[in-house]
Amino acid sequence: MLLAVADLIVCYDRAMIINELSMNVDREELVSLVGPNGAGKSTLLRAITGLVAWEREITRRSTGGDVIIKGTVTFDSERIDQIPAHEIVKRGLIHCPERRRPFREMTVIDNLYAGAYLLKDKKEIQDNLEKVYQLFPVVKERSDQISGTLSGGEQQMLAIGRALMFQPKLLCIDEPSTGLAPILRRQVFEKIGEIRDLGITLLLVEQEVSTVFKMASRNYVLSAGKIIAEGTGEQLLKDEVIRKTYLGL
Amino acid sequence: MILDIIISGLINGSVYALLAIGFSLIYGAARIVNLAHTAFYMVASYCIYFATHKLGVHPVLAMLAAIILVTLIGLVCYQLFINPIREHEAAVLIATIAMAMAMQEIMLIIFTGDYLSVPSLIGGYLKIFGVKIAYQQLLTFGVALLILAGVWALLKKTRVGLAIRSTAQDREVANLMGMNESRVAMITMGISVGLAAFAGAVVVPLTVVNPHMWMHPLIFMLAIVVLGGLGSLKGSFVGAYILGFTEASVVFLIPLGAFLKGSVALSVMILVLLIRPEGLFGVAFEEER
Repeated sequence: MLLAVADLIVCYDRAMIINELSMNVDREELVSLVGPNGAGKSTLLRAITGLVAWEREITRRSTGGDVIIKGTVTFDSERIDQIPAHEIVKRGLIHCPERRRPFREMTVIDNLYAGAYLLKDKKEIQDNLEKVYQLFPVVKERSDQISGTLSGGEQQMLAIGRALMFQPKLLCIDEPSTGLAPILRRQVFEKIGEIRDLGITLLLVEQEVSTVFKMASRNYVLSAGKIIAEGTGEQLLKDEVIRKTYLGL
Repeated sequence: MILDIIISGLINGSVYALLAIGFSLIYGAARIVNLAHTAFYMVASYCIYFATHKLGVHPVLAMLAAIILVTLIGLVCYQLFINPIREHEAAVLIATIAMAMAMQEIMLIIFTGDYLSVPSLIGGYLKIFGVKIAYQQLLTFGVALLILAGVWALLKKTRVGLAIRSTAQDREVANLMGMNESRVAMITMGISVGLAAFAGAVVVPLTVVNPHMWMHPLIFMLAIVVLGGLGSLKGSFVGAYILGFTEASVVFLIPLGAFLKGSVALSVMILVLLIRPEGLFGVAFEEER
């Protein structure tokens, strides 16, 4: 098992966002997290990659508000729930955040170099750059452009490319298709399929259930901070209650 | 007259640029408004005075030592007084102004309020169209430009620079790239204070050293940063020269203009805030970064 989350609890000022949640991801799997808005999907990713803990430090030091995190997160047979976010990255667990968030005023190529920040070997960085360019030719075409001027679809390719610069073992992508036109969504999903075929394990948070169910080997349905169902797309779609209530299909 | 204004504007502008860029760097990377920034510049000037006059150290050596020492003092101050409260913007403002006051009083106790001076590194002057330009002025200008080029190269060409730029844009995402945000903030603080000390070193032969010498540059620096756009290095650079030339013009063109230069800077600041609050190259900061 590559990633295992056990009994995870996340509370923001007494609002329980994640409620005793357990889940796992095996090597070379593509696992999706689906569910209604506010179910805690993004928070789950943020808790796994250490951002919730980082946020806790900041809120404690500024407003005095509190964030509670309990439970364990194990990655590659190592406990990572006590490790700061920037250290977790070193273990090959990369988080591609919601709304893409490129470094808007930096060039595309600088964004990609930022993704390879932890690598020191110049040749390795160049090799990874070539791989990303191969996967996303459009990113190569735009390499000297300021990334804030890219279109939404291009920014998403850049954000994924930036995350791939470190050759992750597990890549978590938060809502890759949100806010994109249908044709671009299809492209993004094609690229995600190609990344899976490269042997990189993926954990996707996605709203577009119909597409992601076809790609994912397993899916978790989240609601109110809990996992209420788990299974292949086919299994989940057979369940009338889940389909209607939680997936809106 | 015109030539006087140009020379004076270029020199003032370069020194202001050094100060304003240092100030913008730490604001950008850690959102710290360091009102003690120019106080470090003052302390550097005093260190150079002390080393050259009391210890008899060679001026160039004294300058280098002062820059290193002040950078270290800056880092200690950061760890003790700023880092623990740096998520709290108002507290940082109060703490840094208090730091500046404290440094002023400490200098007042050690060196008294006397006006002190440090001799030029090189004497003599150049005559262009009847206007005397001291070699020291040229040296100050040249060194300031060199340091600015160095800062640019550091930011654009090195790994540390990449981390500083990324953190300034979006520190949460920088975290996800493996950049240690609090270490980046500390390194940036070191560079920022180092630049303030450098500014003190290049300007000290041209100015009088006194415990209040941080006030005037502070006001100018804040006006420049507002004019250029808070957090924008390009804005700080351009704004520094605009205000440098404005200051020089006021001093040379208006009788008794030297008394007016402070108010001119503040008028520029008010005007910018009224017409274009984000400044020339300002970025409207997003909620998240």
